[in-house]
Amino acid sequence: MMPNIEREERRRKRAPVIGFIVSGSLLVSVLLPASWQWLPIAVGTSAAIAVGVTIDPPVGRGRRGGLRGRRRGRGSGLSAHGRDDADGLAAVTAHRWHTLVMVSWQMPRQPGRRWLAEAESLLSEIPAFQRGAAIRSYLRSAPQLVVMMWAHEVQRRARLGPRRPG
Amino acid sequence: MALRLTLQVQLILQALLRDPAREMYGLELSEETGLQPGTAYPILLRLEHEGWVSSRWEDIDPRAEKRPARRYYRLTAGGAVQASAALSGARRPKGTALQRLAEGGGTA
Repeated sequence: MMPNIEREERRRKRAPVIGFIVSGSLLVSVLLPASWQWLPIAVGTSAAIAVGVTIDPPVGRGRRGGLRGRRRGRGSGLSAHGRDDADGLAAVTAHRWHTLVMVSWQMPRQPGRRWLAEAESLLSEIPAFQRGAAIRSYLRSAPQLVVMMWAHEVQRRARLGPRRPG
Repeated sequence: MALRLTLQVQLILQALLRDPAREMYGLELSEETGLQPGTAYPILLRLEHEGWVSSRWEDIDPRAEKRPARRYYRLTAGGAVQASAALSGARRPKGTALQRLAEGGGTA
């Protein structure tokens, strides 16, 4: 059972994440054509609820196969293969890793997958003491990336034209 | 949309231009430029959208190598020409500014 103080800490840390998800969804929905505006709102709401109800995330353990099956059948690289020390760093890093995963849900599917896979690849090779700063840098640039990726996605879909049945 | 040649973009382009035929992955670029990986990624993505850079996943068996595949970047032929032209035309950043940026990691 997780100590209450740790649960409180998690609760406190969740608030900005939920805020980020909600504001990101709204921002993206504004950028999309009216017929697509429901999508980021639906995804954002689901993600915010998921973050809100997850009291005890599986911190410090690798989840092979990944969340929602979106990763490529590998461990996160953050806690697998004994890469993390047992000094609490693993817990902190894993917590931030979950944030990265949730941020990737705000991105279009393919670019989001690629961003997460590249982050995973890089974080698995970076020395443990630099990992926190690297994850923070990914999170700092995420809002800009989300907007950029959706803008490209909208352009791409516009180029492809409307889907025709059959 | 025209590419804004910020100091960070210039650092990435300089690193890639050192040997345009060489492929570099994120960590290598990050170490060479002193930029944080999260800062370098949006720049690389923008360069790729502009057609200056191409990228590919490394073809390895992650289990055998005991690490995930890397994403390699390199300048395209046109990108190398455009990058050289852009860098020669760009306001050359002072050495101290570049050094400070590299030490601090910087943001895009």
